[in-house]
Amino acid sequence: MDIGTLSLILLVAMLALLAIGMPLGFASGILAVAVLLMKFGPGLLFRDFGTGPLNILAQRMYALMTDYVIISVPLFIFMASLLERSGIARDMYSSLNMWLSRARGGIAIVTAIMAIIMAAMSGIIGGEVVLLGLIALPQMLRLGYNQNLAIGTICASGSLGTMIPPSIVLIIYGLVTESSIKNLFTAAFLPGFMLASFFIIYIIIRTQLRPEEAPLPEPADDEPGMNEKLLLFVALLATLAVPAAGLLLVRGLFLQLTGQVAEATADGNVIALSSWGQIGWLAAIAIGSGALRQLVFNAEQRRRSWEMGKGLVPPFLVVGVVLGSIYGGITGITEAAGMGVVAVLAITVWRGEMSLDLLRESLMRTFKSTGTILWVTFGATALAGAYTIAGGPNYVANLIVGADLPTMGVILTMMVIFLVLGAFMDWVGIVLLVMPVFLPIVTRLPVEEIGWIGVIPASLVPIWFGVVFCMNMQVSFLSPPFGPAAFYLKSVAPPEISLTDIFRGFLPFIAIQLLALSILLIYPGLVTVFL
Amino acid sequence: MVEHEAKSWIDYVSLAISRVAMLLVAAIVAIMFFEVVMRYVFERPTLWVNEMSLWLAGMVYLLAGLYVMQQRGHIRIFILYDLAPRWLQRVFDLISTVLICLFAAAVVWGGFTEAWQKMMRWETFGTAWDPPIPATMKPLLLVTVVLVAIQAVANLVADWGQEKQVHDLAQEVADEHVD
Repeated sequence: MDIGTLSLILLVAMLALLAIGMPLGFASGILAVAVLLMKFGPGLLFRDFGTGPLNILAQRMYALMTDYVIISVPLFIFMASLLERSGIARDMYSSLNMWLSRARGGIAIVTAIMAIIMAAMSGIIGGEVVLLGLIALPQMLRLGYNQNLAIGTICASGSLGTMIPPSIVLIIYGLVTESSIKNLFTAAFLPGFMLASFFIIYIIIRTQLRPEEAPLPEPADDEPGMNEKLLLFVALLATLAVPAAGLLLVRGLFLQLTGQVAEATADGNVIALSSWGQIGWLAAIAIGSGALRQLVFNAEQRRRSWEMGKGLVPPFLVVGVVLGSIYGGITGITEAAGMGVVAVLAITVWRGEMSLDLLRESLMRTFKSTGTILWVTFGATALAGAYTIAGGPNYVANLIVGADLPTMGVILTMMVIFLVLGAFMDWVGIVLLVMPVFLPIVTRLPVEEIGWIGVIPASLVPIWFGVVFCMNMQVSFLSPPFGPAAFYLKSVAPPEISLTDIFRGFLPFIAIQLLALSILLIYPGLVTVFL
Repeated sequence: MVEHEAKSWIDYVSLAISRVAMLLVAAIVAIMFFEVVMRYVFERPTLWVNEMSLWLAGMVYLLAGLYVMQQRGHIRIFILYDLAPRWLQRVFDLISTVLICLFAAAVVWGGFTEAWQKMMRWETFGTAWDPPIPATMKPLLLVTVVLVAIQAVANLVADWGQEKQVHDLAQEVADEHVD
């Protein structure tokens, strides 16, 4: 059968199977069989039991199972479900709240900042939105915040988990497209923070223009004023800088004295923050901030700043462990996720929250989420394999590239397809089923025509497209009728807040996401800043 | 987390397996921590942790799929399904289940010889520690796919007499995330 007809049948059959509610992974799996059947015919396919082209199904699934990077998926899920059950997030919220409570729109800003920090700890959304919905929503509503502002802030910033590294979307994208996940993370850094800062800027502008949407809470009796808080914040930073620089100092000394730095230098590698010069700086920072803390601030200020800031320590510790493991050259993504789990476990034990129940619940949820994600991946990898054998991606790429369409026209069309698919389908399905077809097209488009300002090297096009995809998925988390963030929030929101109310709150935030997406399309160089 | 209760023998098998297999995730974390400490503090990297993690994780992926099938948790789209009358939903379920069984049959049809040979030869991973990952995981893949298909049939039978299904996504999230 010719590949054009085959592709059309595949598309129609996929839509039909999804419409009748067949699980996505298995729909992909049986369509892989169908593609092979159309390509090779029943005679060849079923000639000998136990072998033949159908072996591609088991082979593709097996290849996925023995990929080391995928182990990071259950590990990040495990970490997220532990975090959700511990009080770490709650304490971080109260701490941030103490610092920002007197600012206009303070709780909304706190919510956004908290979401960013949680996004940097783990790469999963869902639990994050639920947590913020449980912690921040009641408080914002009680204070009389505008409901739309509260809802939009929680869900939009709660979705940042997959935009700010580490990100499970980028992990799966890297896997499917065989691009470097570390590079993807680095590339997503700036766009992720750009989007996050847009949210915060929007909140500030909106609440300044309409103060009635974000009433200030009554100040507590002994609450310090804004200037006093700023001073206390400096004290907190000084307090935290001592152990942070001290730890890095000890690490640097350890690496130097055990000869690991010399070894790495001989191999042409660099271990961050471990040269003698850098060790000297670390020592200076540790001593300097220690002196600042002791000499400038009195005991009462020191106590107070620690009281207000200690809730921030565990989250930053986890972020440091995960991102530090990846970027400090200590471990790969998978081990970084493992170390993140260890860090969260240690903090949970230290906080006295650890129990067999908590562990069991977290493991159970991890197991279930892993099964859901991985079996979609299994089915999709089988389908992608079968379709590639049939020559599908090549055919589609030739069709598009040969049609001589304007480059950005093709890319914009893809964006529309992502956004439409994203409104109905889970990101896993999109990345697994659509990316094998789209990415070959994108890499064959003339690279100098991608974007309107600046050019990126051709080798980085897959990385850029991954970040663009990730940004698209940010929109999909919020877009009606199935934006998952809405359902996550609905599950914990007061019953009088309907789904329609929730989606209405999303609108300005979707506009902000689209703005960030356009910037990424107009100026692709944004992803290469740190690469 | 609210769980679907067990109704048939395969449900019990799925749930029993899940109780053991979910511990493997914790095991992976433990050995990975051991490896990182050995490598960076003692500079004595182990040979076995990477491959052991792969082996355990492979089991987690496969067996989790069985558990998720028992829990009716595989990702689906409900737009049309929820609108359909109950008799049509039954037809949809029937088609899905038959296709899942056909998929399982196709996987076994194509992969049986390779899996059988690898198990009989006790093929190993070809690395320093050399665990029998191909010899065990290739057969386990086929076995799991078949079990998943059996579970799908059991689900069809168990849910056949139920009322019309309308999925409340928010309720499902609440079952999952709110204790």
